[in-house]
Amino acid sequence: MNCREYQHQITLLLYEELTDRERTVLETHLHECAPCQDVYEAERGMHSILAEDAAALDLPSDLLVESRRGLSEELDRIETKRSWWRMPVLSGVLTPMRLLESGALVAMGLALGVYVSTHTPQGGAVAQTAALQENAVPSSAIPRDATISNLRVVSTDPSTGQVELAGEVSRPLRFQGKMEDQMVRSLLFNGLRDTNNPGSRLEIVKALAQKPSDETIEEALINALLYDDNLGVRLSALEALQQYAGEEHVRKAFMAALTTDPNAGVRMGAIEALAKKNANDTELAKSIRAVTEKDDNSAVRAAGLQFVGAGK
Amino acid sequence: MEAILKRAAHRVHESEDEKLLIEQAQGGDREAFEQLVRRHDRDILRLAFHMLGNREEAREVFQETFLKAFRSLSRFRFESSFYTWIYRIATNVSLDHLRKRQTLREEISYESDTESHPDRPALKDTLAATTYYSNPERRLYGKEVGEKIQDALKTLSEKERLVFELRHYQGLRLKMIGEIMGSTEETAKNYLFRATQKLRAYLTNV
Repeated sequence: MNCREYQHQITLLLYEELTDRERTVLETHLHECAPCQDVYEAERGMHSILAEDAAALDLPSDLLVESRRGLSEELDRIETKRSWWRMPVLSGVLTPMRLLESGALVAMGLALGVYVSTHTPQGGAVAQTAALQENAVPSSAIPRDATISNLRVVSTDPSTGQVELAGEVSRPLRFQGKMEDQMVRSLLFNGLRDTNNPGSRLEIVKALAQKPSDETIEEALINALLYDDNLGVRLSALEALQQYAGEEHVRKAFMAALTTDPNAGVRMGAIEALAKKNANDTELAKSIRAVTEKDDNSAVRAAGLQFVGAGK
Repeated sequence: MEAILKRAAHRVHESEDEKLLIEQAQGGDREAFEQLVRRHDRDILRLAFHMLGNREEAREVFQETFLKAFRSLSRFRFESSFYTWIYRIATNVSLDHLRKRQTLREEISYESDTESHPDRPALKDTLAATTYYSNPERRLYGKEVGEKIQDALKTLSEKERLVFELRHYQGLRLKMIGEIMGSTEETAKNYLFRATQKLRAYLTNV
């Protein structure tokens, strides 16, 4: 190591950021090198001045209390807004969606059962749990590409070496249908609930965006805009819905996104879409101003002001 | 050894406790979120107050930091400690405020401000009057030296200032500072070295 590298380490020595070994090597060098010793003394002098300064760093006693109170009031305000979004008029938009999704789950289960039962060589009920011996099928009946989950042993017969197993079979499927087809919709809506696969949710939102005028699809897109964890999914949903930003429930959804979405891009997108379709709505302009004037992002604040200006 | 194990056990307990609080807060539990805030808010406010130098902006940074955390907590995946995560937010918000202030200074001419509003103090005086060193509770240390240090800190680049602030005034280890900056301990070391070199050059006569 050269002197410059040792001098670099002097700072770390004073901040106790060197290992024992590094410290020993440096201290040995300082004993032997007068220029580095001088740098050490100068650095130590400055360090003690700055250390006194750090020790004097006190928070004003009332500032913490004041800051906590301000934060608490702001959290109250946000919670009030969130409960506004959950008011009956809005929950009415979302409740049918939830019911539909639940129905879709049941329908999909049934459909898969029917499909597999009509496509297995023995026509047996492979998709069902084989609990009774008379319903059991030979292992050769299981499709090669199937996955079996929840496997359990039902019975064993040591004299014959026979074992009866039960489980649930699933296998990959490819199918096609129109967007109007209830089954296709159910599968797509159900896919939107797959929290482990944002890529798939994004593709589903893009597929649904082909028909955003349909009421249930619109609801699914609103749900994705407001509740999906993935930014790309939310932005795609926003893009699909923006042409309907003049409609009451889409407008409310955009206002909710503007209020709660953590991403400034989504909040900006919501303002722009609202501005395009509601330029002369002074009441909406007031609401947007109230929401955006405290936004922590300057671009969002500016967009909010621009909307208000355009509405006058 | 027993003390170390005890401390380690305490830390594990504390971190498990914090994990539970985070999960509860992610589920919408406001009280759990407020408990998390209480664990770190003094440190965050201290950082903001020293970085910004006045109580108004410190309070704004404090609020923005925790509101950002509140809004994005559902996306916290435990890939770093909550402490690192919240500090990262706080440092970014503080730097944003410093940048805004710089822009404000560039946009407004202090002199013309006084000329157009003779009945109110010049902006430069307002800004100076609210600095950390004018805080009446700061009695332990000489105001003159303190102001000199403040001037010296202004010669640092944004990152040098940040690393120096976090290491010297907030007492964080360089490893954690590297994590907060989304960088490495080695990078943090380099910034600290450059910062101390500049400060030494500036403060030689103090």
